[in-house]
Amino acid sequence: MWKYEKKLQYPVNIKKKNLKMAKCILTQYGGPAGELAAAWQYLDQRYIMPDDRGKALLTDIGTEELAHVEIISAMLYQLMKDATKEELKEAGLDGQYAQFGMDLFPSDSFGNPFNMTYIKVAGDYIADIESNMGAEQRARATYEHLMDLTDDPDILAPLSFLREREIVHYQRFKELRDYYLKMKTR
Amino acid sequence: MNNYINNMFPNEFMMAYPEAIKPGNVNELSMKLSKQAGDNMNFNKCGFDGKINPDNLYDVYNGFIRGNMFPNLFNQYKLSRPYDVKGDNERNELLNKVNAYCFAAHDLNLYLDTHPDDKAMIDLYNEFSADSKKIINEYESKFGPIFVNSNEGYPWSWNNEPWPWENR
Repeated sequence: MWKYEKKLQYPVNIKKKNLKMAKCILTQYGGPAGELAAAWQYLDQRYIMPDDRGKALLTDIGTEELAHVEIISAMLYQLMKDATKEELKEAGLDGQYAQFGMDLFPSDSFGNPFNMTYIKVAGDYIADIESNMGAEQRARATYEHLMDLTDDPDILAPLSFLREREIVHYQRFKELRDYYLKMKTR
Repeated sequence: MNNYINNMFPNEFMMAYPEAIKPGNVNELSMKLSKQAGDNMNFNKCGFDGKINPDNLYDVYNGFIRGNMFPNLFNQYKLSRPYDVKGDNERNELLNKVNAYCFAAHDLNLYLDTHPDDKAMIDLYNEFSADSKKIINEYESKFGPIFVNSNEGYPWSWNNEPWPWENR
Protein backbone atom coordinates (compact mmCIF):
# COMPACT_ATOMS: atom_id res chain seq x y z
CA MET A 1 0.00 0.00 0.00
CA TRP A 2 0.98 3.62 -0.23
CA LYS A 3 0.68 6.47 2.25
CA TYR A 4 0.61 10.12 1.38
CA GLU A 5 3.31 12.47 2.61
CA LYS A 6 2.02 16.02 2.53
CA LYS A 7 5.08 17.46 0.81
CA LEU A 8 6.87 17.38 -2.52
CA GLN A 9 10.12 15.45 -2.82
CA TYR A 10 11.65 18.67 -4.18
CA PRO A 11 10.00 22.11 -3.84
CA VAL A 12 8.24 23.77 -6.77
CA ASN A 13 7.72 27.53 -6.53
CA ILE A 14 7.16 28.98 -9.98
CA LYS A 15 6.44 32.71 -9.85
CA LYS A 16 5.88 33.39 -13.56
CA LYS A 17 3.19 31.57 -15.53
CA ASN A 18 4.40 30.12 -18.81
CA LEU A 19 1.81 28.35 -20.94
CA LYS A 20 4.19 27.32 -23.70
CA MET A 21 6.52 25.68 -21.22
CA ALA A 22 3.56 23.95 -19.56
CA LYS A 23 2.63 22.44 -22.91
CA CYS A 24 6.18 21.11 -23.33
CA ILE A 25 6.48 19.79 -19.76
CA LEU A 26 3.15 17.98 -20.18
CA THR A 27 5.05 15.16 -21.91
CA GLN A 28 6.86 14.34 -18.66
CA TYR A 29 3.43 13.80 -17.10
CA GLY A 30 1.64 11.69 -19.70
CA GLY A 31 4.11 11.25 -22.56
CA PRO A 32 6.16 8.21 -23.67
CA ALA A 33 9.15 8.99 -21.41
CA GLY A 34 7.01 10.54 -18.68
CA GLU A 35 6.96 9.86 -14.96
CA LEU A 36 3.56 8.18 -15.01
CA ALA A 37 4.73 5.57 -17.54
CA ALA A 38 7.93 4.98 -15.56
CA ALA A 39 6.10 4.53 -12.26
CA TRP A 40 3.68 2.02 -13.69
CA GLN A 41 6.28 0.16 -15.71
CA TYR A 42 8.50 -0.48 -12.67
CA LEU A 43 5.64 -1.36 -10.35
CA ASP A 44 4.24 -3.81 -12.93
CA GLN A 45 7.60 -5.55 -13.30
CA ARG A 46 8.08 -6.32 -9.61
CA TYR A 47 6.20 -9.60 -9.69
CA ILE A 48 8.60 -11.60 -11.84
CA MET A 49 11.88 -10.43 -10.31
CA PRO A 50 13.96 -13.47 -9.38
CA ASP A 51 15.00 -12.25 -5.93
CA ASP A 52 14.48 -9.63 -3.24
CA ARG A 53 17.00 -7.20 -4.69
CA GLY A 54 14.92 -6.65 -7.80
CA LYS A 55 11.62 -6.59 -5.91
CA ALA A 56 12.96 -3.96 -3.52
CA LEU A 57 14.57 -1.75 -6.18
CA LEU A 58 11.53 -1.75 -8.48
CA THR A 59 9.21 -0.99 -5.56
CA ASP A 60 11.40 1.85 -4.31
CA ILE A 61 12.12 3.48 -7.68
CA GLY A 62 8.50 2.97 -8.81
CA THR A 63 7.37 4.73 -5.64
CA GLU A 64 9.79 7.60 -6.22
CA GLU A 65 8.43 7.99 -9.76
CA LEU A 66 4.98 8.56 -8.26
CA ALA A 67 6.51 11.41 -6.27
CA HIS A 68 7.91 12.73 -9.56
CA VAL A 69 4.44 12.61 -11.11
CA GLU A 70 3.44 14.95 -8.30
CA ILE A 71 6.38 17.32 -8.90
CA ILE A 72 5.55 17.53 -12.62
CA SER A 73 1.86 18.03 -11.78
CA ALA A 74 2.74 20.86 -9.39
CA MET A 75 4.85 22.48 -12.11
CA LEU A 76 1.99 22.24 -14.62
CA TYR A 77 -0.48 23.63 -12.12
CA GLN A 78 1.71 26.60 -11.24
CA LEU A 79 2.73 27.31 -14.85
CA MET A 80 -0.91 27.41 -15.95
CA LYS A 81 -2.47 29.07 -12.93
CA ASP A 82 -4.52 32.20 -13.71
CA ALA A 83 -3.99 31.82 -17.46
CA THR A 84 -6.31 33.90 -19.60
CA LYS A 85 -8.22 32.36 -22.49
CA GLU A 86 -6.06 34.37 -24.88
CA GLU A 87 -2.87 32.98 -23.35
CA LEU A 88 -4.24 29.44 -23.59
CA LYS A 89 -5.06 29.96 -27.26
CA GLU A 90 -1.71 31.48 -28.01
CA ALA A 91 0.12 28.53 -26.45
CA GLY A 92 -2.02 26.02 -28.33
CA LEU A 93 -3.68 24.82 -25.13
CA ASP A 94 -7.21 25.84 -26.14
CA GLY A 95 -8.02 22.22 -27.07
CA GLN A 96 -6.80 21.12 -23.66
CA TYR A 97 -9.02 23.79 -22.07
CA ALA A 98 -12.05 22.80 -24.17
CA GLN A 99 -11.83 19.19 -23.07
CA PHE A 100 -10.57 19.44 -19.51
CA GLY A 101 -10.92 23.03 -18.36
CA MET A 102 -8.06 23.69 -15.97
CA ASP A 103 -7.92 20.09 -14.75
CA LEU A 104 -4.70 18.21 -15.26
CA PHE A 105 -4.91 15.44 -17.82
CA PRO A 106 -2.01 13.15 -18.66
CA SER A 107 -1.03 13.60 -22.29
CA ASP A 108 2.10 14.32 -24.29
CA SER A 109 3.09 17.78 -25.54
CA PHE A 110 0.95 17.31 -28.66
CA GLY A 111 -2.16 16.51 -26.63
CA ASN A 112 -2.15 12.77 -27.29
CA PRO A 113 -3.62 11.13 -24.20
CA PHE A 114 -1.45 8.88 -22.02
CA ASN A 115 -1.17 5.47 -23.59
CA MET A 116 -0.61 2.23 -21.67
CA THR A 117 1.51 0.89 -24.54
CA TYR A 118 4.26 3.23 -23.28
CA ILE A 119 4.71 0.65 -20.53
CA LYS A 120 7.36 -1.86 -21.57
CA VAL A 121 7.18 -5.25 -19.90
CA ALA A 122 8.32 -8.47 -21.56
CA GLY A 123 8.00 -11.23 -18.97
CA ASP A 124 11.79 -11.53 -18.89
CA TYR A 125 13.56 -9.84 -16.03
CA ILE A 126 16.72 -8.96 -17.99
CA ALA A 127 14.67 -7.50 -20.84
CA ASP A 128 12.51 -5.65 -18.31
CA ILE A 129 15.43 -4.11 -16.44
CA GLU A 130 17.17 -3.13 -19.68
CA SER A 131 13.98 -1.45 -20.88
CA ASN A 132 14.05 0.49 -17.60
CA MET A 133 17.62 1.59 -18.29
CA GLY A 134 16.40 2.83 -21.66
CA ALA A 135 13.42 4.54 -20.06
CA GLU A 136 15.72 6.41 -17.65
CA GLN A 137 17.97 7.52 -20.53
CA ARG A 138 15.03 8.73 -22.60
CA ALA A 139 13.64 10.63 -19.63
CA ARG A 140 17.05 12.18 -19.00
CA ALA A 141 17.23 13.31 -22.64
CA THR A 142 13.70 14.74 -22.44
CA TYR A 143 14.61 16.74 -19.34
CA GLU A 144 17.64 18.13 -21.18
CA HIS A 145 15.43 19.19 -24.09
CA LEU A 146 13.06 20.86 -21.64
CA MET A 147 15.97 22.63 -19.94
CA ASP A 148 17.08 23.89 -23.38
CA LEU A 149 13.71 25.59 -23.78
CA THR A 150 13.75 27.84 -20.70
CA ASP A 151 15.97 30.14 -18.69
CA ASP A 152 13.59 30.55 -15.74
CA PRO A 153 15.45 29.30 -12.64
CA ASP A 154 12.14 28.39 -10.97
CA ILE A 155 11.54 25.91 -13.82
CA LEU A 156 15.14 24.81 -14.31
CA ALA A 157 15.72 23.85 -10.65
CA PRO A 158 13.10 21.06 -10.44
CA LEU A 159 13.87 19.93 -14.02
CA SER A 160 17.53 19.63 -13.09
CA PHE A 161 16.68 17.67 -9.93
CA LEU A 162 14.45 15.29 -11.87
CA ARG A 163 17.06 14.84 -14.61
CA GLU A 164 19.66 13.92 -12.01
CA ARG A 165 17.34 11.30 -10.52
CA GLU A 166 17.17 9.59 -13.93
CA ILE A 167 20.96 9.26 -13.84
CA VAL A 168 20.93 7.69 -10.39
CA HIS A 169 18.07 5.34 -11.29
CA TYR A 170 19.85 4.28 -14.47
CA GLN A 171 22.90 3.39 -12.38
CA ARG A 172 20.89 1.29 -9.91
CA PHE A 173 19.09 -0.57 -12.70
CA LYS A 174 22.43 -1.20 -14.37
CA GLU A 175 23.84 -2.62 -11.14
CA LEU A 176 20.80 -4.89 -10.83
CA ARG A 177 21.09 -6.03 -14.47
CA ASP A 178 24.81 -6.77 -14.08
CA TYR A 179 24.17 -8.70 -10.87
CA TYR A 180 21.47 -10.85 -12.47
CA LEU A 181 23.64 -11.53 -15.52
CA LYS A 182 26.43 -12.68 -13.21
CA MET A 183 24.04 -14.95 -11.29
CA LYS A 184 22.86 -16.48 -14.57
CA THR A 185 26.33 -17.44 -15.74
CA ARG A 186 27.41 -18.82 -12.39
CA MET B 1 35.70 19.65 7.52
CA ASN B 2 33.89 18.76 4.40
CA ASN B 3 35.46 19.97 1.20
CA TYR B 4 32.13 20.51 -0.54
CA ILE B 5 30.99 22.98 2.07
CA ASN B 6 34.29 24.76 2.37
CA ASN B 7 35.21 25.01 -1.27
CA MET B 8 31.98 25.28 -3.13
CA PHE B 9 29.07 27.07 -1.51
CA PRO B 10 29.93 28.38 1.94
CA ASN B 11 27.53 31.31 1.85
CA GLU B 12 24.62 29.34 0.58
CA PHE B 13 25.14 26.58 3.06
CA MET B 14 25.27 29.03 5.93
CA MET B 15 22.12 30.68 4.67
CA ALA B 16 20.34 27.36 4.44
CA TYR B 17 21.56 26.03 7.77
CA PRO B 18 22.90 28.97 9.75
CA GLU B 19 22.64 27.15 13.05
CA ALA B 20 24.92 24.41 11.74
CA ILE B 21 27.81 26.81 11.36
CA LYS B 22 27.29 29.28 14.21
CA PRO B 23 29.76 28.52 16.99
CA GLY B 24 28.33 27.83 20.41
CA ASN B 25 24.99 26.58 19.14
CA VAL B 26 24.07 23.40 20.94
CA ASN B 27 21.35 22.20 18.59
CA GLU B 28 22.23 18.53 18.44
CA LEU B 29 20.88 17.90 14.96
CA SER B 30 22.59 20.87 13.46
CA MET B 31 25.87 19.92 15.02
CA LYS B 32 25.43 16.52 13.51
CA LEU B 33 24.74 18.00 10.11
CA SER B 34 28.07 19.75 9.95
CA LYS B 35 29.92 16.89 11.60
CA GLN B 36 28.37 14.31 9.36
CA ALA B 37 29.77 16.00 6.31
CA GLY B 38 33.19 15.43 7.80
CA ASP B 39 32.35 11.87 8.76
CA ASN B 40 31.39 11.16 5.20
CA MET B 41 34.98 11.64 4.19
CA ASN B 42 35.50 8.09 5.46
CA PHE B 43 33.05 6.66 3.02
CA ASN B 44 34.55 5.15 -0.01
CA LYS B 45 31.65 3.08 -1.16
CA CYS B 46 29.53 4.78 -3.74
CA GLY B 47 30.88 3.39 -6.98
CA PHE B 48 29.59 2.20 -10.28
CA ASP B 49 30.35 -1.41 -9.41
CA GLY B 50 30.34 -1.12 -5.63
CA LYS B 51 34.07 -1.87 -5.46
CA ILE B 52 36.09 0.85 -7.10
CA ASN B 53 35.08 4.13 -5.64
CA PRO B 54 37.34 7.07 -5.09
CA ASP B 55 34.66 9.51 -3.99
CA ASN B 56 32.81 10.52 -0.88
CA LEU B 57 29.16 11.21 -0.35
CA TYR B 58 27.85 14.75 -0.46
CA ASP B 59 26.59 16.19 2.77
CA VAL B 60 22.81 16.30 3.20
CA TYR B 61 22.26 19.78 1.79
CA ASN B 62 24.59 19.48 -1.18
CA GLY B 63 23.18 16.07 -2.07
CA PHE B 64 19.65 17.42 -1.96
CA ILE B 65 20.21 20.42 -4.22
CA ARG B 66 21.92 18.12 -6.72
CA GLY B 67 19.36 15.32 -6.54
CA ASN B 68 22.24 12.93 -5.93
CA MET B 69 24.21 11.91 -2.84
CA PHE B 70 26.98 10.28 -4.87
CA PRO B 71 29.61 12.65 -6.31
CA ASN B 72 30.93 10.09 -8.77
CA LEU B 73 27.48 9.75 -10.32
CA PHE B 74 26.85 13.47 -10.42
CA ASN B 75 26.44 14.96 -13.87
CA GLN B 76 25.38 18.50 -14.55
CA TYR B 77 23.54 19.80 -17.61
CA LYS B 78 23.22 23.40 -18.76
CA LEU B 79 23.58 24.92 -15.29
CA SER B 80 27.07 25.90 -14.19
CA ARG B 81 26.15 24.95 -10.62
CA PRO B 82 23.09 23.55 -8.88
CA TYR B 83 20.46 25.96 -7.62
CA ASP B 84 20.20 26.58 -3.91
CA VAL B 85 16.98 25.61 -2.24
CA LYS B 86 15.97 28.48 0.01
CA GLY B 87 12.88 28.99 2.07
CA ASP B 88 11.56 32.50 2.49
CA ASN B 89 9.96 31.78 5.85
CA GLU B 90 10.48 29.49 8.82
CA ARG B 91 8.02 26.91 7.56
CA ASN B 92 9.64 26.53 4.15
CA GLU B 93 13.10 26.56 5.67
CA LEU B 94 12.21 23.68 7.96
CA LEU B 95 10.40 21.85 5.16
CA ASN B 96 13.55 22.06 3.03
CA LYS B 97 15.44 20.48 5.89
CA VAL B 98 12.85 17.70 6.14
CA ASN B 99 13.14 17.16 2.39
CA ALA B 100 16.93 17.17 2.45
CA TYR B 101 17.15 14.49 5.16
CA CYS B 102 14.40 12.36 3.63
CA PHE B 103 16.18 12.61 0.29
CA ALA B 104 19.55 11.56 1.74
CA ALA B 105 17.95 8.51 3.36
CA HIS B 106 16.06 7.66 0.17
CA ASP B 107 19.11 7.87 -2.10
CA LEU B 108 20.99 5.54 0.25
CA ASN B 109 17.94 3.27 0.31
CA LEU B 110 18.24 2.77 -3.47
CA TYR B 111 21.98 2.19 -3.17
CA LEU B 112 21.41 -0.42 -0.46
CA ASP B 113 18.84 -2.25 -2.58
CA THR B 114 21.68 -3.16 -4.93
CA HIS B 115 24.42 -3.29 -2.25
CA PRO B 116 22.66 -4.98 0.68
CA ASP B 117 25.91 -6.06 2.39
CA ASP B 118 27.43 -2.60 2.80
CA LYS B 119 27.52 -2.31 6.56
CA ALA B 120 28.91 1.23 6.72
CA MET B 121 26.24 2.50 4.37
CA ILE B 122 23.51 0.79 6.41
CA ASP B 123 24.79 2.59 9.50
CA LEU B 124 24.68 5.89 7.65
CA TYR B 125 21.18 5.14 6.37
CA ASN B 126 20.06 4.51 9.94
CA GLU B 127 21.48 7.87 10.99
CA PHE B 128 19.73 9.75 8.18
CA SER B 129 16.53 7.91 8.90
CA ALA B 130 16.62 8.75 12.61
CA ASP B 131 17.51 12.38 11.86
CA SER B 132 14.71 12.76 9.35
CA LYS B 133 12.20 11.43 11.90
CA LYS B 134 13.34 14.04 14.43
CA ILE B 135 13.11 16.87 11.91
CA ILE B 136 9.69 15.69 10.73
CA ASN B 137 8.52 15.73 14.37
CA GLU B 138 9.84 19.26 14.77
CA TYR B 139 8.07 20.38 11.60
CA GLU B 140 4.80 18.71 12.50
CA SER B 141 4.76 20.16 16.02
CA LYS B 142 5.14 23.66 14.56
CA PHE B 143 3.28 23.57 11.27
CA GLY B 144 0.92 20.60 11.22
CA PRO B 145 0.98 17.04 9.94
CA ILE B 146 3.03 15.67 7.05
CA PHE B 147 1.57 12.22 7.80
CA VAL B 148 -2.13 12.01 8.58
CA ASN B 149 -1.54 9.94 11.72
CA SER B 150 0.45 12.82 13.16
CA ASN B 151 -2.75 14.83 13.32
CA GLU B 152 -3.29 16.13 16.82
CA GLY B 153 -5.88 18.08 18.75
CA TYR B 154 -8.96 19.91 17.60
CA PRO B 155 -10.00 20.92 15.00
CA TRP B 156 -8.81 18.41 12.39
CA SER B 157 -5.57 19.87 11.07
CA TRP B 158 -4.78 17.50 8.18
CA ASN B 159 -6.84 19.50 5.72
CA ASN B 160 -5.16 22.79 6.49
CA GLU B 161 -3.30 24.66 3.79
CA PRO B 162 -0.86 24.82 2.22
CA TRP B 163 -1.02 21.77 -0.01
CA PRO B 164 2.28 20.70 -1.49
CA TRP B 165 1.55 21.83 -5.07
CA GLU B 166 0.54 25.32 -4.03
CA ASN B 167 3.03 28.07 -4.63
CA ARG B 168 4.14 29.46 -1.28
